[in-house]
Amino acid sequence: MKLAPRLAVLLTALAVTACAPQTSTNSSSDKDDKTGTLRVWLFQEVGNKPKEKVVDSVVTAFEKAHDGTKVDVEYIPVETRAQRVKAAFNDPASAPDVIEYGNTDTAGYVKDGGLLDVSKEFGDWTEAKDTDPTAKQSVTVDGKVYGAPFYVGVRALYYRTDVFKELGLEVPRTMAELATTARKIRAEKPELYGLVVGGAYTYGAMPFVWANGGELATGEGGSYTSAIHSAAAQKGIKAYTSLFGDDNCPAAKCAGMGGNDTITAFAAGKAGMAIGGDFSHTAVEAGKVKGKYAVVPLPGVKAGSVAPAFAGGNNIGVLKSTSHRTRAVQLMESLASKETQASMFEAMGFLPTFSDVRQRVAAEQPYVKPFAETLAAGTKFVPASPAWAQIDSSLVLPTMLQEVISGKKDVAGASGDAAKKMDEAFGSAG
Amino acid sequence: MRSLSSVRLVRRPWRLFAEASALLIAVVVAFPLYWMVLSAFKPAGEIESSEPRPWTLAPSLDSFRRVFEQNEFGRYFLNSLVVACSVVIVSALIAFLAATAVTRFRFRFRTTLLIMFLVAQMVPVEALTIPLFFLMRDFGQLNTLGSLILPHIAFSLPFAIWMLRGFVKAVPEALEEAAYMDGASRSRFLWQILFPLVFPGLVATSVFSFISAWNDFLFAKSFIISDTSQSTLPMALLVFYKPDEPDWGGVMAASTVMTIPVLVFFVLVQRRLVSGLGGAVKD
Amino acid sequence: MRQGRGLSRPRGGSRKSNTAPRPQGRRRGRSQRTPWLYLAPALVVLGGLLVYPVYQLGLISFFQYTQAQVSGGEPTTFEGFGNYAELFGDRQFWEVLLATVLFAGACVVSTLAVGCSLAVLLTRVRAVPRLALMLAALGAWATPAITGSTVWLFLFDPDFGPVNRMLGLGDYSWTYGRLSAFFLVLLEVVWCSFPFVMVTVYAGIKAVPAEVLEAAALDGASQWRIWRSVLAPMLRPILVVVTIQSVIWDFKVFTQIYVMTNGGGIAGQNLVLNVYAYQKAFASSQYSLGSAIGVVMLLILLAVTLVYLRLLRRQGEEM
Repeated sequence: MKLAPRLAVLLTALAVTACAPQTSTNSSSDKDDKTGTLRVWLFQEVGNKPKEKVVDSVVTAFEKAHDGTKVDVEYIPVETRAQRVKAAFNDPASAPDVIEYGNTDTAGYVKDGGLLDVSKEFGDWTEAKDTDPTAKQSVTVDGKVYGAPFYVGVRALYYRTDVFKELGLEVPRTMAELATTARKIRAEKPELYGLVVGGAYTYGAMPFVWANGGELATGEGGSYTSAIHSAAAQKGIKAYTSLFGDDNCPAAKCAGMGGNDTITAFAAGKAGMAIGGDFSHTAVEAGKVKGKYAVVPLPGVKAGSVAPAFAGGNNIGVLKSTSHRTRAVQLMESLASKETQASMFEAMGFLPTFSDVRQRVAAEQPYVKPFAETLAAGTKFVPASPAWAQIDSSLVLPTMLQEVISGKKDVAGASGDAAKKMDEAFGSAG
Repeated sequence: MRSLSSVRLVRRPWRLFAEASALLIAVVVAFPLYWMVLSAFKPAGEIESSEPRPWTLAPSLDSFRRVFEQNEFGRYFLNSLVVACSVVIVSALIAFLAATAVTRFRFRFRTTLLIMFLVAQMVPVEALTIPLFFLMRDFGQLNTLGSLILPHIAFSLPFAIWMLRGFVKAVPEALEEAAYMDGASRSRFLWQILFPLVFPGLVATSVFSFISAWNDFLFAKSFIISDTSQSTLPMALLVFYKPDEPDWGGVMAASTVMTIPVLVFFVLVQRRLVSGLGGAVKD
Repeated sequence: MRQGRGLSRPRGGSRKSNTAPRPQGRRRGRSQRTPWLYLAPALVVLGGLLVYPVYQLGLISFFQYTQAQVSGGEPTTFEGFGNYAELFGDRQFWEVLLATVLFAGACVVSTLAVGCSLAVLLTRVRAVPRLALMLAALGAWATPAITGSTVWLFLFDPDFGPVNRMLGLGDYSWTYGRLSAFFLVLLEVVWCSFPFVMVTVYAGIKAVPAEVLEAAALDGASQWRIWRSVLAPMLRPILVVVTIQSVIWDFKVFTQIYVMTNGGGIAGQNLVLNVYAYQKAFASSQYSLGSAIGVVMLLILLAVTLVYLRLLRRQGEEM
């Protein structure tokens, strides 16, 4: 059979005639049309109608204020954002002018050359001075601002008021108390997880690292180095992973859980405590524990302190390829304005990124209070490096946690390996 | 040697046993589907609850409402239908011709070609989306249904050709000779004799291409970038897979809605699959 | 093997005879040009939409090519075998490769066994059970893989699933152990891919003349004998394609592992090659590394296919 050699010849022939693979040219546009159509992509939420209503009123006002400008809004599923946004960078003809994007994607999009540097406009924007510092950090790469924060999401401690009352437990004030309380619940009520934790729940584990003084990585811009194997970070990892066990959350069941699984367990009445976000509120309300739970900030190491939480959320940015620079930035500002954020909270429950607006809405909606307190106590953000996308998608941190939980490695070994993988990513992503 | 009557005797209990097991297997296979439909009807808090009951006392249409409330849901449905049907028809015709060529003729590179057809399926599709993206852009097909139809035709062809090859082969050469002796033209033989004979194969391949085009996420999210009116149904499903707060009720309801047309399509074509050649290929 | 059949291999098979009404003359000319005519549409489509992208894939694997290069932010640089060196230098890659081969093998064998036996079963039963089984199978096939995986995970959930209760397994966690997690995924893969085998093989059996089967049954041959000595040989072209397709799909399994083991299992114990490729490369837009993995997968699958076809040919099966 002469098939294989023939094929090989064919393939080598193709390879020899090689030229470079295709690329596109996504240079920033010099044009700055003051009229025409502005295209906007926002994320499509599960119940999207209220969001559309708020956006529509912003758009109507904007079109009225700027004669000759039309705004065309499209809603895209969050799950498809990666492909969509990349495609928009590749084909400026299909690209929108303004986009909503997840704040952990900022550095990656900047590296891909997609987002417009709006530092100057952001500095001139009067409302910007009230922006939460971590929210501002989430639009900043290498000291330059690439958008306006749209909303934030943080996690806090959900606990069962009925269980606590029945067992005569106090709400834990320190991380050590958290662990002992969790074990007490499990001991008294073996059908419940004390504090439900997940081996794949990175943002549930990070507060333990941060509260113990650890960091994910240190450095600025392109020169991050991993710090996940530092002594402080290891202490946090140990604190979190020690919660996996038959005396709280059995490894066999909890090692594979992600953030959503832990909330599901809590909502179904399977857990005494859980670490959940403000966005988990709806799911918990729909579950069996409605009316039987409360939320407090996750306690830190010292009594009365709050463990730093990860500040997730979304931003609004302008694409570099826009040919309506001025108008696009103006639209970004109206979409992320105090007024819009306040109505967006009313409509969707998205937490505002302005400290003053957040305080105001927290007064109206009591469930927001612990989350606002958590934000006020100071939050943390992931390294503003394009490498983060790679670290996140290759599950470096969940793997580290699961190696410890399943007993495959000790804390020092697992965190050392994770640090090595992170440094490789920081190195290659530049 | 058994007599005819003993064969019959053995047959009847056998058949009853076979039918009972077929039904049992059908139930087992359908159970996950039942669970999907059930979860679509369950109220939000009951989908994952510590008492997993195979029924619900409070059926609710809320999940379906969230599915149908999406912007342009009807439009997505129609787009999916256009894509899937175009892919089925065009790839069936092209594959039939190609299968005839590789079965009824001998020529250089025949085997190489057959294997080359498969090559593209052997790599992860993600790896091909970037080159395909540039191709679609250069054809000006981005953001149109064409950017979904073309790659899907290409991806369902290899299987269809390989599959139909078996069916064309099964049609005896003698039949072809006889047709020519009767003075039939080449195209008459091809379309009026051979085509009907390989119909069961066409049905099996078209079910395959229909399902893969109907359920595709990757091309839809890579090539339909800026014009959501050209989106397809899977995009309406993906909305519910929100990181950190997935809406399982919506996922199950959207999947139920997506599965039904495939079943309808199959019921429409299955008669062809069953009646097939029958006694057409005697001799 | 490339010998012409009968009369058909005259060099340049005369254009004249192409239009001549004599049937034999026409057959002669056909064998040179007609096949290419019939193949033309397929070749145009496949050449443009499959061969060219695969060629690009090979090309990309030799470059530094990430999203920044694609969108023109940074220039592409030639890397030679750099991407391959990175891949082969990763110990995890070899572990994942081994797991993938074993897992895919198990999936292929189970899917084919279930699919073929049920196809034979379908020919033995009357219309109602047949339609019931067919519709159930079609439903399984038609369910989007992402939903199917989610539902199976629900069914086997230690806290919220009905299966553990029915089987009295308490809160046994299927996804914690490496083998039990692979087994659970295997069940789902078989569930959603046996219908393809079943329907295809069933269509194939239906194309076998009824008399042949009746004659065999009258001879008192057992089911197994009929399958071994009558059906399997007649169905071989179809079984070949079904096998090759299953190998290709199961080797490339992605969604089931990704969804059911939450991205590759506890500490990556359930990673398969395609998920590995996604996490290492595609999710973070490192297309060049991803393409290198793609090329490796291509070469492995091509080798498997060629060996398989050669084995068949040795058994006297002509292509």
